Amino acid sequence: MLELSRRRFLIGVGLSGLAVASPRLMAAGSSAGEQTFHSRPIPSTGESVPAIGMGTWITFNVGGDQYLIDERTRVLETFLERNGTVIDCSPMYGSAADVIGAGLDKLGAHDRIFAATKIWTSDGSETREQAATSERRWGIDRFDLLQVHNLLAWQEHLVTLKEMKAEGRVRYLGITTSHGRRHRELARIMETEPLDFVQLTYNVLDREAEERLLPLARERGIAVIVNRPFQGGSLFRRFQSEPLPSWAPEAGVGNWAEFFLKFIISHPAVTCAIPATTRVEHMQENMGAMYGQLPDTSQRRMMADYVRQL
Amino acid sequence: MSGATWLSYSLQDFVMFGPEVFLRLFARINQDLWPWLLLWPLAGLVLPWFGRQAAELPRRLAMALAGLAWIGCGYLFLVRYYGPVNWPATRFGWAFVVQGLFLLILKGRALPGPMAWPVAVSWWLAVLLLPWLSVLEMPDLWAIALFGLAPGVTVAATVLLFAGQPSPLRWLLLMLPLVWSLFSAATYWALGTFWLMGFPVATLVLLVVALRFNPSPAQNPGSQSVHRGPGRQSP
Repeated sequence: MLELSRRRFLIGVGLSGLAVASPRLMAAGSSAGEQTFHSRPIPSTGESVPAIGMGTWITFNVGGDQYLIDERTRVLETFLERNGTVIDCSPMYGSAADVIGAGLDKLGAHDRIFAATKIWTSDGSETREQAATSERRWGIDRFDLLQVHNLLAWQEHLVTLKEMKAEGRVRYLGITTSHGRRHRELARIMETEPLDFVQLTYNVLDREAEERLLPLARERGIAVIVNRPFQGGSLFRRFQSEPLPSWAPEAGVGNWAEFFLKFIISHPAVTCAIPATTRVEHMQENMGAMYGQLPDTSQRRMMADYVRQL
Repeated sequence: MSGATWLSYSLQDFVMFGPEVFLRLFARINQDLWPWLLLWPLAGLVLPWFGRQAAELPRRLAMALAGLAWIGCGYLFLVRYYGPVNWPATRFGWAFVVQGLFLLILKGRALPGPMAWPVAVSWWLAVLLLPWLSVLEMPDLWAIALFGLAPGVTVAATVLLFAGQPSPLRWLLLMLPLVWSLFSAATYWALGTFWLMGFPVATLVLLVVALRFNPSPAQNPGSQSVHRGPGRQSP
């Protein structure tokens, strides 16, 4: 049975309030109009999460720099204001967990997020200890999602994560990869392990996941978090100076951030994309992708063709 | 992970912070230590004057100042400021502290003779010019990379001392500067902070200068003992 914590309750109330305020907002994946708010169900429970989350790789690793901590807190505040909840981190990301914790403290927002981090240690006996350290750094009682980072010692960590889930110490478990690496091994794990989530790289140029992993995730009822949606920023560097296609408005696309993100979240297997940014205006653009019309199958094909010919 | 997987990583994949975060380290440490930070470049400027003296005591002091500079940038910049955003920096920082302590223990014994003029001039140029590289990269005077706090300037200047030592001490002392230069060059390349590449490049150039103008121990028979006078005279 799903435990209803205060945090889950508040998130639920928030989303319900949104639905009351604007019934069209909660169409959850439909394309009813420009104000459609896109959330996605986690297959293993049916709980909905917003389709755009926030990554923290590089961007939130600012050490003890108070000026930058305040700036990142404003980015986090914008993310929350635009109804984002899924925040993803890893112990590998230097001080990012502390910066998230400081931001959540300042905003009093610990109860408004879907907290996801990773287990990143080759020592398979350190799963609980590392999770506890991350909880302290974030300032939360427990994570919603713990993922084995880049398949590192995944056999040992998954055993412990399953125990922790059974004990209620974590709500979901998952495993991650990035840059398109080790997809074959990830597929084998997805086929045999009871995963709630996988995290992988998928974007308009890196589409290898479409062949095996995304169909497998649908088949196995595994939620998919997409990292590197902008290919580490290189998609902007390559295409930002180019015009959007003339048919972009018909696909619900108003800028390049929406182009890249809507391409991803319109894939039926994708639960959530987690772009990272250091700037408030970029966060606003990213979160814009969570609203309005999404491209259909033929428009997605046109999007991929368009960037390829550029 | 297989070798093929490792090969799929680029240099950028190993850098887990942005250029703004790194450049602000210089500004933050300077602002936090103001005005006491001025003691470090002052020490850097007087060091060659001590190093050029024929008497043993000033030369001992020169080596001690170099040791303190290594401890300063190792503990303050690398461990305290840089380490939280880049864990290898913490390890480098403690290695810098150990090297600094080693220099303090060596004192005058490691400075076999008065510093040659070209070496002294190179030192002053390094301490006066290299700090502006970080200002060029981040247009803010606070971002100046000072000797004794910023590892790039400290390493570049002090290789001039290390290269003048007899082997194998010379290579023992040069090991960390060379590894640091390689590490920092890779970091600056990945960050795209190309002005900062001047630090490792200057380190190599100054090393060549020092090897050219510092005599080998064979030419300098008095260099092995602290009890003898300097084995060579400055030109």
